[in-house]
Amino acid sequence: MNFLSLITLIFAPIAAAILILIPKFPNHQVKVRRFAKVFASIHFIYAMLFLVFFDTGLYGMSYEKELTFFNISWLKSMGISAKFALDGISLLLVVLTCFIVLVTFVLSKMHIRTKHKLYYSMVFLFESAILGILCAKDMFMFFVFWELSLIPLYFLISQWGNSEARRAAMKFTLASFTANVFLFFAMLILYYYNFAVSNVLTANIDSLSMDESLYPVWFQVFVFVNFLIGFVVRIPFVFFHSWYPDIQNKASAPVNMLIAGTFLSTGVYGLIRFNMQIFPEVFKLFAPVLMCWGVVNIIYAGALSIIQQEIKKISAYAQISMMGFVMIGLACLNQVGFNGAVFMMLALAVVFTSLYAIISSVQFRTKTTYLTALGGLGQVMPKCMYFSLIVCFGAIGVPFLITFAPKLMILSGAILSNLEEELMVKIVAIIGLLAIIFASGYIMYLFYKVFCSVLLEQWKRLKDLSPQEISVMSALCLVIIYFGVYPMSVIQIYQSVSNLLLDILQV
Amino acid sequence: MNEIINDILNAYLPESIIIVFIILSLIASLFFNTSLYKLSKWFTLLGITLALGSTFFLPIDQNDMEIFAFNGEIVSNIYTIFFKILILMSSFFLTLLSKNLIREKRDRAFEFFTVFLCAVLFSMCTVSVTDFAGLFFSIEGLGLCSYLLLNFSKTPNAKQLSFGYFVQEGTSAFLFLFGLSYLYGLCGQISFNGVSDYLAQNNSVVLLTFAFILMLCIFLFKLGIVPFSSWVADTFEGASYPIAAYISTIPVIASFGILARLLLIFINYLPVLKILFITLAMLTIFFSSLCAIRQTAIKRLMAYSMSVQSAIMLLGLSVFSVFSLSGVLFYMLCYIFANIGVWAAILLFYDSCKKENIDDFNGLIFHRPYYVIAFTIVLIALAGLAPTSGFVSKLYLFSAVARSGFLFLPFLIISMLAAVIMIFAYWKLIRSMFRRVDSNVSIDTHIVSPKFILYACALTSVLLGIFADKIIQLCQFAAYYL
Repeated sequence: MNFLSLITLIFAPIAAAILILIPKFPNHQVKVRRFAKVFASIHFIYAMLFLVFFDTGLYGMSYEKELTFFNISWLKSMGISAKFALDGISLLLVVLTCFIVLVTFVLSKMHIRTKHKLYYSMVFLFESAILGILCAKDMFMFFVFWELSLIPLYFLISQWGNSEARRAAMKFTLASFTANVFLFFAMLILYYYNFAVSNVLTANIDSLSMDESLYPVWFQVFVFVNFLIGFVVRIPFVFFHSWYPDIQNKASAPVNMLIAGTFLSTGVYGLIRFNMQIFPEVFKLFAPVLMCWGVVNIIYAGALSIIQQEIKKISAYAQISMMGFVMIGLACLNQVGFNGAVFMMLALAVVFTSLYAIISSVQFRTKTTYLTALGGLGQVMPKCMYFSLIVCFGAIGVPFLITFAPKLMILSGAILSNLEEELMVKIVAIIGLLAIIFASGYIMYLFYKVFCSVLLEQWKRLKDLSPQEISVMSALCLVIIYFGVYPMSVIQIYQSVSNLLLDILQV
Repeated sequence: MNEIINDILNAYLPESIIIVFIILSLIASLFFNTSLYKLSKWFTLLGITLALGSTFFLPIDQNDMEIFAFNGEIVSNIYTIFFKILILMSSFFLTLLSKNLIREKRDRAFEFFTVFLCAVLFSMCTVSVTDFAGLFFSIEGLGLCSYLLLNFSKTPNAKQLSFGYFVQEGTSAFLFLFGLSYLYGLCGQISFNGVSDYLAQNNSVVLLTFAFILMLCIFLFKLGIVPFSSWVADTFEGASYPIAAYISTIPVIASFGILARLLLIFINYLPVLKILFITLAMLTIFFSSLCAIRQTAIKRLMAYSMSVQSAIMLLGLSVFSVFSLSGVLFYMLCYIFANIGVWAAILLFYDSCKKENIDDFNGLIFHRPYYVIAFTIVLIALAGLAPTSGFVSKLYLFSAVARSGFLFLPFLIISMLAAVIMIFAYWKLIRSMFRRVDSNVSIDTHIVSPKFILYACALTSVLLGIFADKIIQLCQFAAYYL
C-alpha cells in the first residue's frame, strides 16, 4: 500500500501541534477543540488503515520507510539513520495510542479550562513521540523519541494539574532523565562493541547483537542491567515506581488517561525490543529473577493499593501491580506466556484508560477523589455505575472480558514453562492465582465505596453521564467486551512476532 | 621582503588583515569624533568579514598538509584554518552583540574594538604557534585583552571583579612559566618538535610530567576546570553581557585548539595526562552542575554552564583518538551557536527591561511566544536534548569515549549522570518562562541585532542537528589532518 506512509503517521501530529501553536490560529477554545478532534479522528482512521492492510503472515517488519532530508540520510557516516518500520506488537500499540488520544480529546472539554492551544499542541507532540518510539527501527532514533515524550508530558502534568502538580512533575522528570542516562549509556556501549565484533557500524535494532563468544558474561549482564533500569522506571515496576502514583494523583483526568494508556506500554515494548531480542542468553539467565520480581510486584503494589484512600492512587497502584503479570509472562520463555504478556499489556492500557475515564466523570461532578467523601453514587448515576461495573470486572479478569484470556495464558505459561527452577515456577504460578483474588479485593473495594455504600447528602443532585461521556465509555467497554469474547483477533496479529522472538531465544 | 610576503600569503593572511584593522582602528580613535562611534562597529565587522573571507584563500598543500611560515614559528593546516574560521565567526556575532555596550561608552568605542580585535588576533595566533615561547606570548596576550575588555563593563563592581580575574590569570601564567623553566632545563629547547624528540630518546619523564601539569594549568584556568573554576561565577557577574559572551566563547575555542595540538605531540609519552584530564573533567561536570542548579542570577548560571560544557569537551579530548577529536570539534561548533544564541537572548531581555534573574522570565511565553520558542531551542541545544544539534554532538562525543576502552566507562557514566543535573539547571529557566504568572515584563522589539542573532542561532542549532552528517565529515577531515 503506497499511500500508507509511516513518516506521515508519525510526523502529522507534530505538524498539527505547530499549526495550533502559531499565533494566527484562532484562540477560540471551541475552534481549537474541534480542530483537534477532527484531526485526531482522521489520524485514527489513517492508523486503522495500517491494521487493515497488515500482512499477518509476514515474518519481520513491514511498511519500512526512511526519513531523508533532500536525499541526505541522518548521520549516515555513523551508521545511524531515521528508519521506521512496524511489526505486529508495535502496530497494535500504534492503533491503541491513536484511539486513546481521540478518546481523551472527547473528554478534555470538561477538564481543560485554560490555555487550550498549548494543551492540544502538547498532546499532539506527545502522541508523535509515542508513535516514534513504537516505529523507530534505529536505536538512537528510539532514544530521541524516548526523551521527546518527556517534555510535553512535563507541561501536561504541571500546567493543568492541581496545586501540587508542579512538584510531582519535576520528580517524574528527574526520575525519567536519570533512568535515560543508563539507557543511553547502554546504547552507546552496545553500539560500539557490536561494531568491534561485527565490523559494521550500525544502530539498527534488528542487526544488533552481543556475541556471547567474544564478550564475557559479566559485561553482557552489565549492559543488560543498564537497559533494564532504563525500562523498568517507565513501566513502572516496584522499587522504581514512586513517581507514578504521585503524578496520577496530581495530574488532570485526561492526562491520567494518556499516561495510563500510552506511556507505560512503551516501557514494556522497549523491554521486549532490547532486553529480549538483543540479549537472549542473558534474558534466559535472568528469567527466574524477573519472575520473582513480577510476583513481588503483584503483591507489594497490591498491598499498597488496598490501603490507599484516594481513587486515582488506588488505580495507579493497581496498574503497577498488574504489570507484574506482564513480567511473569515474559519470563516464562514460552509461546503461551509471551502471547499472554503482550496481550496483557494491551489489555491493561485499555482497562485503566477506561477506569480513569470513569474517575474523571466522578471527579468532574464531585470535585473530590477521596473515598471517605464519596459513596452511593450508583443511586444518582446509574449509567456510570453500569459502565464502571464492566470496567472493574474487566480489570479483575472475569471471563469474557479483556484481561481474562491473558491472565489465563500467563498462568498456564508459568506452569508449562521448562525453566531450570521448575518447582519455583510452579509456586510462582500458584501465588499468581492468589493474586487474582487480591486484585478483585482492591478493585471491588473501590467500586463498592464509590458507587454502592450510603449516599451522602451533598451528592443527591448529581447528574448522570452526558452523551459525550456515554459515547466514550461505550466505545471503551465495547473494546473490553469484544476482545474478551474473541481474543484470537488480537493474538493472530502478533503471532509471527512472537514466533520470531522465540526463535531468537531458542526455547 | 619577498619571503615575508610569501609567508603572509601562505599562512598568515587573516591575522595580517586583523593587524591592519587594529592599526587603522587605533588611528581612528585619535581622529574620529565621538558622534561617529557607530562607524567603529561597521569598521570591525568589515575587518572580521575580510579576514573570514581570506581564510578560504589560504593554500592547502596536498602532500604533507602543513605549511610553515616565519622560520617555522607559525604553522598552517586544515585544522588551524578550521579553528580560525570558528574564532572569526564567533567574533563576528560578538561584535554584533556589543552594540548597546558601545552606545553607552561611545567615547571609547574605537578603543573597545581595538582591544577586541587584539583578542581575536591573539586567539588565532594561539591556535597556530609551534613553540612554547610563542604560545606563552599569545595566550598571555589573550588573557590581558580579556582583562581590559572586562573593565569596559558598566556594573558597579566590575573593576574589582575583573581585577580578581587578572590576579588568578597571572597566577596561572606564573605556573606556566615555572613549568616551562623546568622543561627548558631538562630538554634544552622550547619548540614542540624539539621537546617531542627529547621525549622519544629519554625515558625519565617524572619531572617532565610535573612540568607539563604545571603548564597545562593555564588552559584549565581558561576553560574553568575544577581547581581553577572559582573565578567563573564572579567574573561573569561583573562583566557586561557581550563581554561575558566573549569570555565563554573565544578563549575556550583557542584553548582547545592548542590543547589538542599539544596532546597530539605529547600524549604518547605522558599517558598519565589522560587519567588526570578525565578525572578533572568528571569532577568539573559534577561540581559545576551542582553549583549551577542553585543559582538565581542568570549570568552565574551561564558561567557554570560554560564550565560544564568545556569539561564535557575535555572529557572527549582526554581519550584522544581521531574520533574523539572530531567529536570535540563538532561539539564546539554546536556549543558556539547555542551559547551565543543564549547570550543574545539574555542580552535582549536585559536591554529591554534591565532585569537579570531567572524569576524575571516568568510568564514570558504569553507576551513573546517567538522569542521564548527560539530561546528554548538554544537552551535545549545547550542541554543536549533531542531535536537539536546538542543531542547529536553529545551522542557523537560520548560514543567516541565509549569506544576508547573499558577504563573510561566508569568516568563516562558518572559524567553523564552529572550532566543530567545541568539539564535541570537549564530546565529551571525554561520552566519559568512557561509559568502562568501575570508579569509586566516586555521585550523591546526594536533591538534588531541580538534578535537576529538569536533567531539565526536557533535555526542553525536545529539545522546542524538535521544535516549533521556533512558537518561531522568535515570535522573528521579537520581532525584527521592535524
